[in-house]
Amino acid sequence: MLILRVLHSGPLHGYAIAQRIHVLSSEVLEVEEGSLYPALQKILLKGWASAEWGISETNRKVRFYRLTPAGQKQLEAELSDYDRVTQAIQSVLRTA
Amino acid sequence: MEKFGEIIRRFGYLLTRNRRRRELEAEMAFHREMADRAGRPEAKRTFGNSTHLQEQAREAWGWTWLDRLFQDLHYAARTLFRSPGFTITAILILAIGIGVNVTAFSLFNMALLQSLPVRDPDTLLRLQRRSLDGQIAGGMPYPTAIYFRDHAHTLSGILTTAEGKLELENDVEPLGASFISSNFFDDLGAVAAHGRLFSPPVDDAPNAHLVAVLGYHFWQTRFSADPNIVGRTILLNKQAVTVVGIASELFPGLKGGFTDIWIPITQQPRLVQGSKMLTDNDGGAVGVWARLAPGATAKSAEAELLGLTSQRRRLDPDHVWKDEYIHSDPGARVVTPQPRMLQIMAIFGSLTLLILAVACANLGGLLLARGVTREHELNIRLAIGASRLRIFRQLFTESLLLAVLGSAAGVGLSCLAFRIMTVLADTPKWMSSMPDWRVLCFASALALFSSVFFGFMPALQLASQKHRRTLARQLLVGGQVAASCVLLILSSLLVRAVLHGIYSSPGFGYEQVVSISPRLEDHDYKAPAAEALITRLATRLRSLPQVTSVALVKLPPLGGGVTRMDTKVDGRPLQVYPNWVSPEFFSTMQIPILLGRNFTPGDKKVVIVSQAMARRQWPGENPLGKIYWDKDVVIGVAGNAHINAMNDGDAVEIYAPAQTEDMPSMSVVFRTQGVPDGLELTCKSIVQALDPKLFPQISLLKTNFHTAMRSVEILVSILSGVGILAVLLAAVGIVGLVAFTVSQRSKEIAIRFALGSSAKQALGAVLGQYCWPVLIGLAAGLALTAAFSNLMRFMLYGVSNLDPVSYAAAIALLVGILVAAALLPARRALKIDIARTLHQD
Repeated sequence: MLILRVLHSGPLHGYAIAQRIHVLSSEVLEVEEGSLYPALQKILLKGWASAEWGISETNRKVRFYRLTPAGQKQLEAELSDYDRVTQAIQSVLRTA
Repeated sequence: MEKFGEIIRRFGYLLTRNRRRRELEAEMAFHREMADRAGRPEAKRTFGNSTHLQEQAREAWGWTWLDRLFQDLHYAARTLFRSPGFTITAILILAIGIGVNVTAFSLFNMALLQSLPVRDPDTLLRLQRRSLDGQIAGGMPYPTAIYFRDHAHTLSGILTTAEGKLELENDVEPLGASFISSNFFDDLGAVAAHGRLFSPPVDDAPNAHLVAVLGYHFWQTRFSADPNIVGRTILLNKQAVTVVGIASELFPGLKGGFTDIWIPITQQPRLVQGSKMLTDNDGGAVGVWARLAPGATAKSAEAELLGLTSQRRRLDPDHVWKDEYIHSDPGARVVTPQPRMLQIMAIFGSLTLLILAVACANLGGLLLARGVTREHELNIRLAIGASRLRIFRQLFTESLLLAVLGSAAGVGLSCLAFRIMTVLADTPKWMSSMPDWRVLCFASALALFSSVFFGFMPALQLASQKHRRTLARQLLVGGQVAASCVLLILSSLLVRAVLHGIYSSPGFGYEQVVSISPRLEDHDYKAPAAEALITRLATRLRSLPQVTSVALVKLPPLGGGVTRMDTKVDGRPLQVYPNWVSPEFFSTMQIPILLGRNFTPGDKKVVIVSQAMARRQWPGENPLGKIYWDKDVVIGVAGNAHINAMNDGDAVEIYAPAQTEDMPSMSVVFRTQGVPDGLELTCKSIVQALDPKLFPQISLLKTNFHTAMRSVEILVSILSGVGILAVLLAAVGIVGLVAFTVSQRSKEIAIRFALGSSAKQALGAVLGQYCWPVLIGLAAGLALTAAFSNLMRFMLYGVSNLDPVSYAAAIALLVGILVAAALLPARRALKIDIARTLHQD
């Protein structure tokens, strides 16, 4: 979900995705490189993102991931799921 | 839809796997570079083993298992290649086990599943009359077939065939002829090798020339493949018939095997004078096949034929059964299935599967033994981090590879066996010995099944390092012994049965008996005329100097005609073989009357039963005076004589006095002084002097007897060969296991010797572990055979299925072979160099 959300603002390459999550989470979340790439492969396979070759800021040929409409839908579904669950947890925490 | 796209992408990944792997590698290298540049030294640590990480990422594609399989296969191939001795032995064992099964399945396939090579086999149906209360007739009256042909819309055509006998030129032995509707060849897409085949408008005309088409094989053997025979006339039943053509040797016909000669069925009455086959509404005279009209199915045709049958019942109520319907089977088959046949096939099938079981158990033992020599290798692999699952998978892949190789070799063996059979047995050319897709599927299924059977347990045990336990080996030994025990007892039973059949009296004299079947009913003889002719024939025969007695019988002994009735007597179900005879029958056939009296002329409503029947039906009672079935009184008990069911030890006979109305279907049997050879011609001329339109079938009973025996002998030699094969397989397995045990425990043996144990004691200690499994296996095999062998009673020629001699012989042979197999490698143990063995390691 995090990866999809980060890609929502525009195509990124693998390292940039990890960086963005790291920065946006105020350096709390660190995406393990060992779980980032399997997840990316899975996202490609599910068709939630497409990959294209581009040039990185260091002038290297690298793969950029772009969210597809199907990925967009998936992201929305996951976000609303997530909202529901967090709200539920919150209300339990408040009342109990 | 989304799922579908995912599957497509997944396959795309499979095809572009290598390129994607490189891309992923580059991408991850870039990631690492960037992390380095950002000055995060811990990145290197978290990134860890880059190969491992790449593998993890690739796992998302879902194809890792395939890569592993290839790896495993590659490794398995290398391992097997490195130990050619083991590999060849294993493949050979499997090839025998699988080959036997594939051969059996191919026969089954050929007989019941494969279509005959005729045009459009799928729309061809075989029609049979049946009724809801269990009546079945193989054929139907010709007028019924014609009625269906003219009225059924779901059928585009009807083929009729009838088998008959014709005299060719002046031959004594009559010729088997197929009378067929003249659309037969065209409809089945047959071509002529020479000349032409039948055409309906020409050959069905009322005044058409008499014509015949010769079978290719018959043309070769009888007319030396002379193409000039086309257009010439031959004498059939003393009438000139023009040979118009020779059928191609690739044309199978519809009955399987060879056909000598085809005649248009519309010309049958002109050749067999007086025959009412085409007009008779009684009985089942012709076999009927139907061609489905375009768009029709077998179901819709059956429904329409049911309606037509009801219409016929209104027109002709006497000749349509109550609740009659027309049943259809696929028409283009060599054999139409019957319950009894399936039972025999099931028995043979389970026997051949047992052989495979022995082979698998055998191979399992070999694999376990081999595991000990591979211990070192497996330990290393475990030590460097291979999971047990991975090792199990690797070992099992090896078994799978072996099984596939063995199966391929088995198919090869079976092909070879078929090729040899076709050469030896002179089979028709249209029969193919090449395995079709069903056989190949079957062979692959067997490969998978047997790899699980022989490879699963050893792989599991090796991977969990429990293979040094003896329990697994003991189980294998027990299973092998049990299976080979069953096989060996069954084959020895069958061998005994044949010996019994050949060397013991069948209950009647056959050496000096001749039977004559004038087949009066074919010529539409009425009962009084038939009685007059048969009486004159008997008188003429009696006046011959060589003839000592003459009798009449409806179903001549060994004549191929069998009537079996499933009845209930006093509420007990009973299968009886009835026959209708004259009083002289018992003395002519040398069947003793054990109790009561013989028939006398004019007897009615009385029967003579066989001893077996009396014993079964009225045990411990006097059978004389008892009532059988339809108020028939038992007046005598005759010796058991399975004159028409020689191989069925359970057969019981019942004889009724022949009446005048039986005369058109009676045969004559007579006994001679000395050998009857050469009397056939005399008999034939006597019959033809009485009525020149008759062409009798004359046979020496001893010839029929030997023919019947020969086919069984072949069957039994195959079966006993199969039994021996199983035992040899088991012996090889035992040799392997004992050799393995001895080498595994050589140190222990040496210590025992060093401490002064005798050779006997040392061996006993080592081999003792197999003693119980062998005994339990033997007991299990015995019990299984005793329980299931009564299914085979009908082919045991009267030998009991619990025959102690067969059991004893089989067990003695098996134990002998097992002991020899165990002692052979054990002797090596006695020769070990104690000092060297103890100093090793």
